[in-house]
Amino acid sequence: MALTRNVYQILEDIVGPENISEEPVILDSYAFLWLAETVTDSKFFTRPEAVVMPGSTEEVQAIVRACNRYGVKYKALSTGWGPWNAPGDEGVVQVDLRKMNRILEIDEKNMYAVVEPYVIFSQLQVEAMKRGLTCHIIGAGANTSPLASCTSMSGMGLSGISMSYNARNPLAVEWILPTGDILRLGSLGCGAGWFCGDGPGLSLRGIMRGTHGAMGGLGIFTKCAVKLYPWPGPRQMHFEGVSPGHVAAIPQNFRCYVLSFPSWDSFADAAYKIGEAEIGYVMGKQIAAGIVPLMAARSPTEYAQIRESGMADEIMQEFRYALQLILGAHSLREIEYQERALQEILAETGGWIPSPTQDPERQKTTFRMMIKVDGNSAIFRLSGSFGTSFGAETSCDAAMVHARLGEEIKKKYIEKGVIADDGAEWAWGAEMNEHGRFAHIEELFMYDPADPESAKGAAEFIEETSLLTAKQAPGLAIWELARGGLGPKAHDIYGPACSNYHVWQRRIKKAFDPNFSADATFYIEPEE
Amino acid sequence: MALLDYRNDMQRCSRCSLCKWPPLAQIKSWRFSNVCPSMVWGNFHAYSAGGKLIAALSLLDGRIDYSDKFLEIVYQCQMGGACDVSCKVTRDLEPLEVMLELRAKCVEDGQLLPAHMVMIESLRNDDNPMGKLKAERGKWAEGLDVKDITREKADVLYFAGCRYSFDQDLWGIARGAVTLLKKAGVDVGISGKEEACCGGRAYEMGYRGELTKYAEHNIETWNTAGVRTVVTSCSDCYGTFKYHYPKVGKTMNFEVLHITEYLDRLIKEGKLKPTRKVPLQVTYHDPCHLGRLSEAYIPWEGVERKVLGQIVIQDPPKEFRRGTNGIYEPPRDVLKSIPGLELVEMERIKEYAWCCGAGGGVKEAYPDFALWTAKERIEEAEATGAEALVTACPWCERNFRDALEQDGEKMKLYNIVELLLEAL
Ligand SMILES: Cc1cc2nc3c(=O)[nH]c(=O)nc-3n(C[C@H](O)[C@H](O)[C@@H](O)COP(=O)(O)OP(=O)(O)OC[C@H]3O[C@@H](n4cnc5c(N)ncnc54)[C@H](O)[C@@H]3O)c2cc1C
Ligand code: SF4
Ligand code: SF4
Repeated sequence: MALTRNVYQILEDIVGPENISEEPVILDSYAFLWLAETVTDSKFFTRPEAVVMPGSTEEVQAIVRACNRYGVKYKALSTGWGPWNAPGDEGVVQVDLRKMNRILEIDEKNMYAVVEPYVIFSQLQVEAMKRGLTCHIIGAGANTSPLASCTSMSGMGLSGISMSYNARNPLAVEWILPTGDILRLGSLGCGAGWFCGDGPGLSLRGIMRGTHGAMGGLGIFTKCAVKLYPWPGPRQMHFEGVSPGHVAAIPQNFRCYVLSFPSWDSFADAAYKIGEAEIGYVMGKQIAAGIVPLMAARSPTEYAQIRESGMADEIMQEFRYALQLILGAHSLREIEYQERALQEILAETGGWIPSPTQDPERQKTTFRMMIKVDGNSAIFRLSGSFGTSFGAETSCDAAMVHARLGEEIKKKYIEKGVIADDGAEWAWGAEMNEHGRFAHIEELFMYDPADPESAKGAAEFIEETSLLTAKQAPGLAIWELARGGLGPKAHDIYGPACSNYHVWQRRIKKAFDPNFSADATFYIEPEE
Repeated sequence: MALLDYRNDMQRCSRCSLCKWPPLAQIKSWRFSNVCPSMVWGNFHAYSAGGKLIAALSLLDGRIDYSDKFLEIVYQCQMGGACDVSCKVTRDLEPLEVMLELRAKCVEDGQLLPAHMVMIESLRNDDNPMGKLKAERGKWAEGLDVKDITREKADVLYFAGCRYSFDQDLWGIARGAVTLLKKAGVDVGISGKEEACCGGRAYEMGYRGELTKYAEHNIETWNTAGVRTVVTSCSDCYGTFKYHYPKVGKTMNFEVLHITEYLDRLIKEGKLKPTRKVPLQVTYHDPCHLGRLSEAYIPWEGVERKVLGQIVIQDPPKEFRRGTNGIYEPPRDVLKSIPGLELVEMERIKEYAWCCGAGGGVKEAYPDFALWTAKERIEEAEATGAEALVTACPWCERNFRDALEQDGEKMKLYNIVELLLEAL
């Protein structure tokens, strides 16, 4: 269903001929997405009818208005990493926000930055660090958009312990509503600048994104003030070395640890205590036991040799319940205090620091990966792709339920040979947002997207764990599952288990988007 | 390998966009945080390396066919490989190889660019892609007291390459290089008008046969001439000799050095002594083919296997070229050996340097894009506060010169050879 020439012309008039395309070669680069093969049996979702690339708020608004007027759906994306960017069906115009890529302001005193959609975390972080500040970075990696995760989707990452997750970090926002009207959220709405996301009057932040974000289903966000946090490290970090290894010295007022525990219970106890003591700067469970042998290998081939020889069994066991932790302090006395507090917590919970992780060179790498969040796409390295499951925002204790369930169910799929044998453990998360107020655990798994059997196995794993989440593990499973695992009925399955949120979500969709113009696929279908 | 052999790589691309940026830890500012000229110029995802992998997969699967836009996406790219380095920080994929194979397939299928066809015709007629007569090839060395290896023996062959041979503005640099070698007592010769193209540019444009032809010819000629070392001032030629020549499977009885490596060696051996002060603050541009693309060819023939369920391994293990072993320090060491000269670094350097814009047939087919790419680099050089931009490749130099001239910019431009000559 191509766009009518009239509509295409109208869109072209808005953005200029060089910023619109319906060339199949260009469209396919938007239809190709991670996890697509678990939903469509190929690497591609439905092609958008056209891609438009606006350069300003006015252009975005004009696009949205035109779409409303001519009954065309639209779907925005920032950097476009993940299936939730795909049009749900035919007839959708993809709005690629790449040209809106500026950091408009960094307010050092009030600790926020105003960004456009295509600014990535790495850019924001280096500019903020020059001013003694930094930003929370999501676990996906610093190659993604702070605006996207603040306004539209998820937002968890290991700095959540001291910087919360990105549902909390947007301040004022410029929002093109699904109808094309502009809403300036928070202080911006009364001309008072960007410092606050709430009021005047009722706060709309919850409606804007709630827990997981509208994923493009509620209009387009064009600017967002993102909260910044103190960075007690150097204004510029100098990374030595040549790719693939870049390392920087760990500043004197920082420490970098891997902490191991004998069980999930002691792991959770320690996580709570670290949160309560307010000593964590960055923390979470990032490294899976099955991944640890990769640190000693130069290639997947070597990794496999180490694993198959059994040499890694012991170390994998040692890392089964392991947390990574960075302490950061504003003075040497403070860091000494934090260290002592940590030692006490380890003594109380039976935790220890595995000796291989005390190697200063390894610590530098871990430090880089946790501060710069630059290594996470290594997760694709061993099998070509990965999938995830569970992941409700919940208490750390409840997250442990997810971890245990994840291990159980994974064993079955490993036995079938459709996913990689990672020792049946890759719980990711436990970042203890806001010093422990809530956390989450995802069970990651590795599969091969180039292998149809493996992709099918991945799809089944996602579906089974999604259903299990609704039945046995309270909390709304992680975002991509809403569509990938269960299809459009996902919310109707989860809703009754989670305060009937789906009823409200539908109402919001209908009220804000009367023409159903913003592609609802990953948000909520307006009709049951 | 053929394009189809990389189908799994295409399917395993995660569309993470890391190929658009330097390795993330090395981003130093918002302003200079891009690494892929094609992407910044074209903006749609398809222009990135990941996008080209998708285009290749789509083509193989019959989802799309060739079109003008398809060819623009394929060819509006310098093949400088920064994308490849960034992808391989965490992945074992071969984006650059896919892009090379995709071009080869385009050529095989008759999907050619007129500007490239002109270059290839010139190559076939005159052994250079620059539209010049072969008879004029040796002119750059006229009056220079240097051996002609087609007539007498020499230990070292100085290979000028097409750009230095025919770009009169740059002759002084090739002559200067020979002068330096002679000053250091090196027994050096040249091939004059008998020199032939290295074939590398043609290969990067998708013309595989041309590379094989020149590689076989050149290796045979140099083996027969009995030279122990082939030294070139051209980074493109150097990268070609190091990476592409070994692929044709002929034994190379000589060592290949870039002039900066050789000069660095001569300085460290005390055979060249830079003593005169050159009071200048400079910044150095790493040419792609001397840096990340100069890593030696690592032969690998094997298969992909699955172990531990779905873990993909190469059997035997495959060494990936990740830009780690490019020639980064020798040019810097030469510069640092010059008294009074101060080297300040740009933000994007070494394996994640921004390309000069000239490579991959871009300067010929898309001159505006080539110049824009150079200007972006010049801005980065200017931001360091340096007075001069220094490089070690004639293609970079040509493109920077053109860009500086077009904008009337004041930044000075040098080749390392010129600065070293001044210091002796
Ligand atoms: C490998 C991988 C790992 C991940 N891990 C994590 C993780 O640890 N923590 C986490 O929080 N998330 C994670 N995610 C999900 C991630 O949060 C989102 O993909 C995301 O926000 C990435 O940013 P992006 O720039 O790619 O956004 P995009 O992928 O471009 O967009 C994400 C969603 O938001 C919508 N959107 C984007 N920009 C706008 C806008 N301006 N206006 C309206 N809608 C918009 C899109 O339609 C899409 O539905 C992961 C994703 C991947 C691919
Ligand atoms: S080519 Fe590599 S870096 Fe680029 S999108 Fe694909 S996986 Fe990511
Ligand atoms: S070779 Fe250079 S221009 Fe081409 S895709 Fe890679 S980084 Fe971009």
